[in-house]
Amino acid sequence: MAKFVTIGERIHCISPTIREAMANRDPAPILKRAKEQIDAGATYLDVNIGPAENGGEELMKWAVRLIQDNFDNHPLCLDTANSKAIEAGLSVYNPVRGKAIVNSADAGDRIGNIDLAAANGAICFALCSKAGVPSDNDERMACCQELLERGMEQGMDPEDLWFDPLFLVIKGMQDKQMEVLEFIKMCSDMGFKTTGGLSNVSNGMPKLIRPIIDSATVAMAMMNGLTSAIVNPCDLRLMETIKSCDVIRGETLYADSYLEL
Amino acid sequence: MSFEPKLRAYTAPVFTVEVGSGERKMTLGGESVQPLCFFDKPDQPAPLIGVEVSDIGFETEGLPELAAFYAGADTLAARAVKAASLPGASFVCLHFEGADPAATNKSVEDCVAEAKEAVAACPLPVVIAGCKNIEKDTALFTALAEALTGENLLFLSAREEDYKAMGAAVALAYGHKLGAESAVDINLAKQLNVVLTQLGVASSSIVMNLGAAAAGYGFEYVASTLDRVRSAALEQQDGMLRMPVVTIVSAEAWSVKEALVSEDDMPEWGPREERGIQMEAVTAAACLASGSDAVILRHPVSVEKTAALIAALM
Repeated sequence: MAKFVTIGERIHCISPTIREAMANRDPAPILKRAKEQIDAGATYLDVNIGPAENGGEELMKWAVRLIQDNFDNHPLCLDTANSKAIEAGLSVYNPVRGKAIVNSADAGDRIGNIDLAAANGAICFALCSKAGVPSDNDERMACCQELLERGMEQGMDPEDLWFDPLFLVIKGMQDKQMEVLEFIKMCSDMGFKTTGGLSNVSNGMPKLIRPIIDSATVAMAMMNGLTSAIVNPCDLRLMETIKSCDVIRGETLYADSYLEL
Repeated sequence: MSFEPKLRAYTAPVFTVEVGSGERKMTLGGESVQPLCFFDKPDQPAPLIGVEVSDIGFETEGLPELAAFYAGADTLAARAVKAASLPGASFVCLHFEGADPAATNKSVEDCVAEAKEAVAACPLPVVIAGCKNIEKDTALFTALAEALTGENLLFLSAREEDYKAMGAAVALAYGHKLGAESAVDINLAKQLNVVLTQLGVASSSIVMNLGAAAAGYGFEYVASTLDRVRSAALEQQDGMLRMPVVTIVSAEAWSVKEALVSEDDMPEWGPREERGIQMEAVTAAACLASGSDAVILRHPVSVEKTAALIAALM
């Protein structure tokens, strides 16, 4: 394995500030969040431009160049339901510091995004679902196989498919939590990389509780072999937990100042 | 079907550290293969050999070859020139053991004068080793660093106790290279690199001195430390452990009983000099096989043997 990969989630068009900045092509708010996340240690930055049905291609190109030009080609994760916009983003992406990530393909309508990743030498998030939440791990595994086959057909290295079990919200789906963790273990045992939107688990919880639940979840998931996650890197407790788990997993050598690195 | 080896691709080589100035220059580190696995990738740098000379001269009873080699070389400068003449030597290490308050307690001023003369005379890059007394070494290194500004020397070493003063004076104020010394403690090795970096010392100015032990005297700890440091550098691309490693073999090898006891006391062991050379050469080979980028040796025959080993493997 390798050090845990964190993908910063804070450039997301659900945020009114970011949505407005994207609509007006205003660099400042986006650069501010990019800097905060990079300073906090995010390996990748997610760039979520939303459904972006109109003008998505130009918007993604603009966002990719904006962030990479200002932050020494920091690696990015291109996140939208609009495949054309992802393709446009990949066309201007500089992979010198890490392959781009296509966020995401699933085993349903969006399986074609795997082809897009394969054609552009990118990593692809592979959601183990067809539509909506998978009912159990058998369904997740069936999706995983379909996604894997598609990637192999396209000549992808299985290392470049990062399987997403779909983290589920505890408030409402508490009984599904162990199942998600078990699926991560199944993927890990097969040698696959995994990822997911970690903060889903604490959705709807009080602000003070979320870092605690997110940290506990990431620790348990890392124990089961989780290799990356989409997270809020500005959550200090969470980042400290990830660094500590990396030490315990032996992915990074301990030094007294390990939290400062 | 023929066997096709699948090589691990190490994308992050060991950092390089340049020591010396003008015509006398050397580069430590830079490799991106496991120790001595030169066959894995072309153009890998060879490990280097440094020759240690003492400011007070070595005790040579029972060591006729060593005595003969330095015969007539009565100053540190003369010994440094002699040492530099050895085939296979890449640098000379001036060891100021006489500065130790527990030994002759030579003054900082005298050490500086000798060092200036030796550096001026020596045709190879120069490395400075202290006397191991924290207070004296700090004063000595600060004075030497100032007096020899521009020479780009390597100072061995800063420790947990004195890294701030050493880092500020030797590296930051006077622009020399600095060894970070940890006594066979991998976590401390990383920590020292972290704090030196946080102090503002560039990674291109830091060399790791991970400590050593003579073969048979806890060498397995040295081997595993060297091995884990190199793995963290190459496999985990740990930027806080990618500095090159310099190992002072001489002091360890020549301080164990096999290298110390006289032939009179142990006739069945044979000549002392032969035993010491074997201990030094064997320990050097083991360090190189575990990940040292440079070894510092004392005896001309050990230098010759180690140089032959490196040449045969390149």
